Amino acid sequence: MILQRNKLILGEKNLKDITDDICEPVETLPGKGWVLMFIGALSLLLFYLVILGTVIAKGMGLLGVNHPNAWGTMIITFVFWIGIGHAGTLISAVLFLFRQKWRTSVARTAEAMTVFAVMTAGLFPLLHTGRPWLDLWLFPYPNQRGPLWVNFRSPLLWDVFAVSTYATVSISFWYIGMVPDFATIKDRAKNKVRRMIYGALSLGWRGTGRNWAHYEMLYLILAGLSTPLVLSVHTIVSFDFAVATLPGWHTTIFPPYFVAGAIFSGFAMVVTLMTLVRIGFPAFKDYITIDHMEVMNKIIMTTGMLVGYAYASEFFIAGYSGNIYERFVFINRAFGPYGWSYWIMVSCNTIFPQIFWFRRFRRSIPVMFVVSIFVNIGMWFERYVITITSLHRDFIPASWGNYAWSFFDAAVLFGSFGMFLTLFLLYLRAFPAISIAEVKPVLPVGREKGQGGHH
Amino acid sequence: MSDTNHDHHDHDLEAKKALRPKIERDTNYWLSLEHYEQDPEFMKLAEQEFMSSPLREGDAEDGVARRDFLKLMGASLAMASAGCIRRPVQKIVPYNKQPEEVVLGVPNYYSSVHFDGSEAMALLVKTREGRPIKIEGHGDHSLNCGVSIKGQSSILNLYDPERLRGPRKNLFNEKRTNKDTIGTSWDAMDGEVSKQLQKGQAVVLTGAVTGPANQAVIRDFCQAFNARHVVFEPLSHEEIRQGQKASYGDDSIPFYRFDKAKMIVSVDADFLGAWLMPMTFSKQFSEGRKEPETMSRLVVFDSNYSLTGANADIRVRIKPSQQLDVVLGLLHEIVVKKGRSSYAGNGSVKSVIESGAGAAARLGIEPALLTQIAEDLWDKRGQSLVVAGGLPTLTSKATELQIAVNLLNSVLENDGKTVEGRGGNPGLKGSWADLLTLIKDMKEGKVKTLIMHNVNPGYVLSSEHGFSEAVRKVEMVVSTADRVDETAGEAHYIIPDNHALESWGDAEPVAGVVMIQQPTIRPMYETRAFQTALMNWARLAEVGPARLRNSETFYDYVRTVWREEVAPKYGRGMGFEAFWSEALQKGFVGTPNSAGARSFRADSFSSIKPGKASDFTELVLYPTVTMGDGSATNASWLHEIPDPVTKITWDNYASVSIGFAKKHNLKANDVIEITVGDKKIDLPVNVQPGLHDEVLTVAIGYGRTHAGKIANGVGRNLYPFLSFVNGQAIAAGAKVEIKKTGRKESLANPQGHHSMEGRQIVVEATLKEYQKKKDANIHRHHAWSLWSGHQYNGHKWGMAIDLNSCTGCNACVVSCQSENNIPVVGKKYVLQGREMHWLRIDRYYVGTPENAETVFQPMLCQHCDNAPCETVCPVLATVHTDDGLNAMVYNRCVGTRYCSNNCPYKVRRFNWFNYTKDIEKPLNMALNPEVTVRTRGVMEKCTFCVQRIKAGVNQAKQENRPLKDGEIKTACQTACPSGGIVFGDMNDPNSEVSKMFKKERAYLLLEEWNAAPAVRYLTKIRNNGKDARHEKAHGEGEHA
Repeated sequence: MILQRNKLILGEKNLKDITDDICEPVETLPGKGWVLMFIGALSLLLFYLVILGTVIAKGMGLLGVNHPNAWGTMIITFVFWIGIGHAGTLISAVLFLFRQKWRTSVARTAEAMTVFAVMTAGLFPLLHTGRPWLDLWLFPYPNQRGPLWVNFRSPLLWDVFAVSTYATVSISFWYIGMVPDFATIKDRAKNKVRRMIYGALSLGWRGTGRNWAHYEMLYLILAGLSTPLVLSVHTIVSFDFAVATLPGWHTTIFPPYFVAGAIFSGFAMVVTLMTLVRIGFPAFKDYITIDHMEVMNKIIMTTGMLVGYAYASEFFIAGYSGNIYERFVFINRAFGPYGWSYWIMVSCNTIFPQIFWFRRFRRSIPVMFVVSIFVNIGMWFERYVITITSLHRDFIPASWGNYAWSFFDAAVLFGSFGMFLTLFLLYLRAFPAISIAEVKPVLPVGREKGQGGHH
Repeated sequence: MSDTNHDHHDHDLEAKKALRPKIERDTNYWLSLEHYEQDPEFMKLAEQEFMSSPLREGDAEDGVARRDFLKLMGASLAMASAGCIRRPVQKIVPYNKQPEEVVLGVPNYYSSVHFDGSEAMALLVKTREGRPIKIEGHGDHSLNCGVSIKGQSSILNLYDPERLRGPRKNLFNEKRTNKDTIGTSWDAMDGEVSKQLQKGQAVVLTGAVTGPANQAVIRDFCQAFNARHVVFEPLSHEEIRQGQKASYGDDSIPFYRFDKAKMIVSVDADFLGAWLMPMTFSKQFSEGRKEPETMSRLVVFDSNYSLTGANADIRVRIKPSQQLDVVLGLLHEIVVKKGRSSYAGNGSVKSVIESGAGAAARLGIEPALLTQIAEDLWDKRGQSLVVAGGLPTLTSKATELQIAVNLLNSVLENDGKTVEGRGGNPGLKGSWADLLTLIKDMKEGKVKTLIMHNVNPGYVLSSEHGFSEAVRKVEMVVSTADRVDETAGEAHYIIPDNHALESWGDAEPVAGVVMIQQPTIRPMYETRAFQTALMNWARLAEVGPARLRNSETFYDYVRTVWREEVAPKYGRGMGFEAFWSEALQKGFVGTPNSAGARSFRADSFSSIKPGKASDFTELVLYPTVTMGDGSATNASWLHEIPDPVTKITWDNYASVSIGFAKKHNLKANDVIEITVGDKKIDLPVNVQPGLHDEVLTVAIGYGRTHAGKIANGVGRNLYPFLSFVNGQAIAAGAKVEIKKTGRKESLANPQGHHSMEGRQIVVEATLKEYQKKKDANIHRHHAWSLWSGHQYNGHKWGMAIDLNSCTGCNACVVSCQSENNIPVVGKKYVLQGREMHWLRIDRYYVGTPENAETVFQPMLCQHCDNAPCETVCPVLATVHTDDGLNAMVYNRCVGTRYCSNNCPYKVRRFNWFNYTKDIEKPLNMALNPEVTVRTRGVMEKCTFCVQRIKAGVNQAKQENRPLKDGEIKTACQTACPSGGIVFGDMNDPNSEVSKMFKKERAYLLLEEWNAAPAVRYLTKIRNNGKDARHEKAHGEGEHA
């Protein structure tokens, strides 16, 4: 017996409908809702820029970083945004290689999210240095100081490479995927300026067979390049911690744990954004269906349990290792002055997603929205717990001290959402938010009932 | 060219001129009537090319004006540069390093003196280009080898931007309630004051005056004007003098010899912290404990948790009203119970001692412990020492306590051995009673002129004493304060004294030792030595001894006094100039007098009436190591140095015991209202382990209102809580009531946690454990590595820190701060964990929280061989040098702070803001030019004083000789009063540091982490007679 899959695209669309639906946000003037959100996001972005400017002008001391907590909100939020990015790459590259057709309608936006998240994240390591104007020294470039090279032993340097590679590959992949769609918009353009802009963006796409052949090959190669990055970027980010000798950081579980956490938080963010997109552009509901959301919720639940396993494993190893410092750090995590953050993390990341065992909740937009927000909060706190609770009480008790959370910490954290949302809202209006070229092939054309599926 | 040649040349010129064709002048055309008339003057002018010559008229005559000009230019240039180099004008002799005058970039060292009203310390002042930049101890041969925090910080007082820059006159209204000062001239002031002085009834009110010349000038002045000299110090040590007077008939301070004592009992005398001469005593104390095998035992009965208590082998918490009971209890054990000493037969003495029976029960300690202490004292008689004194002993029975202590010392045959009668600083004559009498006299109009020097009664006296009313009854008031402080505002003339580093003077730290105070910089401003003022007034009035009137400056006077009085005594027959020169170089002459045993006047003891211990909470006031009496506290270092025991900065606070806090439901930082008598004050609470449940202790020296931007408003002034009975100050034992206010005020404590959590951080062993096994309690780890490690072919620097010597006094911290230009961040940022000290003293409590004992650990960059910081820096800003240093390259640092995260010892400090920008001129003159001033955004940390290492190595290289061990001393090492820090080359097997490293009790901190530090600590040994340290019952300290 052949099980009939639910349709990936609802509403009995034909090819033109798809083009019309997806191009509509790009070709019409924005509605009140979008404008209001954009104004909000833009104000937040401007506020963010003022805050960052003040921090650069006055010094890192404005934030709560201190002695012994030399890393704080900026690094926490950096890891948070980098993690967010992972879902995009996973959906667009890994699922592409695994021929998961449901990915087509969410891949573009997920990838856009990746790019914006990496951009948002990328600012932090550069700005959190004491002298950001000298950040160029973090890059190996020929110079006249010897030449004086960077320290290839430092995980922070690996980070520089990992993040910059990730940003480059993600942007290329995202852009290449959009080329045929840009051409479509160009063709539909009714004025010259529009035509020129999208014409330039489409890089001379003609839609010829040769175009398509090159495109498919390039897309496959980029997918192949991106796939290891899903694993490597967060592995290397985790090395920032795992390679240090600090108890609570110095653990071998960090790479897989960080990758799982990244995918987890990334999918949560995709769900958050997709529920919003569905509300903002009701036409997209036919493309981003409840089935799509359900699949993502399943991934959230699975990765959430992976993360939960990591939490438990860490605790076990801390006890089992017999290392008194390690053991203390973990007891302190759960029951010390920052115990509240630990329990926020545990409940948001491992307990709340368990609601997705129930199909009804898995398919409920309000439930998944709330859970995805909780997961986002929980994952931010995971990085907070890792960074702060390990730093604030390490080897020498006399140097222990709490993080001095300030207004600027909150401003930097929320301001970064301003940057992300501004970019994202602009994207929704300027770029085709669903891949027209990829969605059309998954139309049930030729696969109607009775004609069977694949064998 | 010779003159004749020159003349010849001139003749030639004339001849040539004569041969020139004459210019025909056409008289048809004329310019003016003068021209027409061929006026010779006009014709002369017309012949000139220019109306005014570039050559001056004089040039024609002797041709020297131009040279004059050049000469003057050169001289003024020289003067300008000499002006930058503020060397004193008189002849001062550099210490042992003697470059030809001042060489740019080469420091000069001068010996001088710092006297803080209680202790006179020999100093070595490092100057660069004529400005003092660092104050260090004079080395091992003087009484003190380190310098107190206050002494080191006096460099900030010198460069204090708020110092007065010249004499000022107060434009008083009729009631003299205003403070409007204007600048005036020295001459005008001298004239007026001198005239006024001739009216008689003058009083010179000074702080303690030490040194033969300093004392002589006041004596001569008083003789000249028939004036009275009143000495006042808030920390007067009056009680010791009174006790000595009653017991032995000597109205003076004895010299205590902690180095000779094998068994020391202190009743609230904080001799390592803030009592009498702590730097000298610390050195003595550590000498008696350097070798664990022969170390002394220290028992402290402590009302406050003093630094001395923190160093005690056995510490018993008491309340002030129990102090006398402690001494009587010990006397009872020895004299009555065991019937020892000649006093066992003295009925009247015995009857008083009887009241000491059962003291142990009243103190809440095991009777066996008191018996043991008494036994130890008796066993070591002649080599034991009992001391009591300081503010916490100023109860209504302060003198009785001293008499009892004196009896105990006499019973133990310590007098003349560890207590050298009349041996202390003869200048410590301060007295509250005298000040109060003076105020009474002033009120009655018996004082016409009041000259105040080094005193601040306006700050220490509460309004009820009516100082300000009294002072307004005096016709003329002169103050030598360096700022318009609480008292100087009442003066007609404020004539700022030179800073000590700008003045000549002398000091007598103990009887028999005289030190010279050399100026190390020409006075920065239009200030004048106080002594010069006295001399000027005498000269103008033409009265007084010849040496007072005829000496041109105080320098001449000092020399006269030294020629007349000091040289005959200490000169060993040398010529005066040679003697003077030697004294300047060495910094001091003489050796402490030693006295024989004195006979104790038993009747002084018989009249003691032992009181009962109170049943209420008692107030204990105490001076801190940093603030002292609060006199020179406008120095930022002082405020940011944590209190050695509580670790709190930038405040004073009410310390109460854990039991007290529980009973009154108090938490740290709760603000309580404290009532003593009719006075109230609000203070935040510090819950202090190891305090008696019925005491509340607060530091004095805070709450200044007119000290300057830094000190004003820091903490509260507790002097008003002093009460007076018959002129005796009562600082302890008064009944305290408290009330919660519901407010909170955060105390800035840079130390986050106070228990070692059972980790091997400070290793301690009892003497018995040590005797059994020299590396007792050290758990060693063997770490193996795949890597062979760094190779050190030349030097390999290392440091050994003997925790058994370290008293936790913090002098090293401020020395490091001074040497390395470490910024001060202020209370707000200390609260945020942003303090910058490269070297900190970690203090942990051990044992039960109620009776917590203390251990200290200086913590600095460990210069690890496998430094975790080095591998993680992405830009290679922290690297390993080939002599084993972990170097920090400020230029390269971008400030990722990863190194700090990865440092297991957390000794790295980050410049969160641009601190250097806030250094107000001329405080920048105190910066050490040899150390980079760091910008914002870079990491910094201890460098092992790399600038000193380089200087030492280069010196040896220039002199083509191998470096001597001990030649290079780090800044912390030079400040340590107890010689607990040893620095040197680990590659030299004979170096002191190598020897220390080889000792069994040396251990590496966090050895199992295999960072392989270059710093080793030596176990602290507690000589408490116990077989083993109590099990690791670590108290759960408060979490900041």
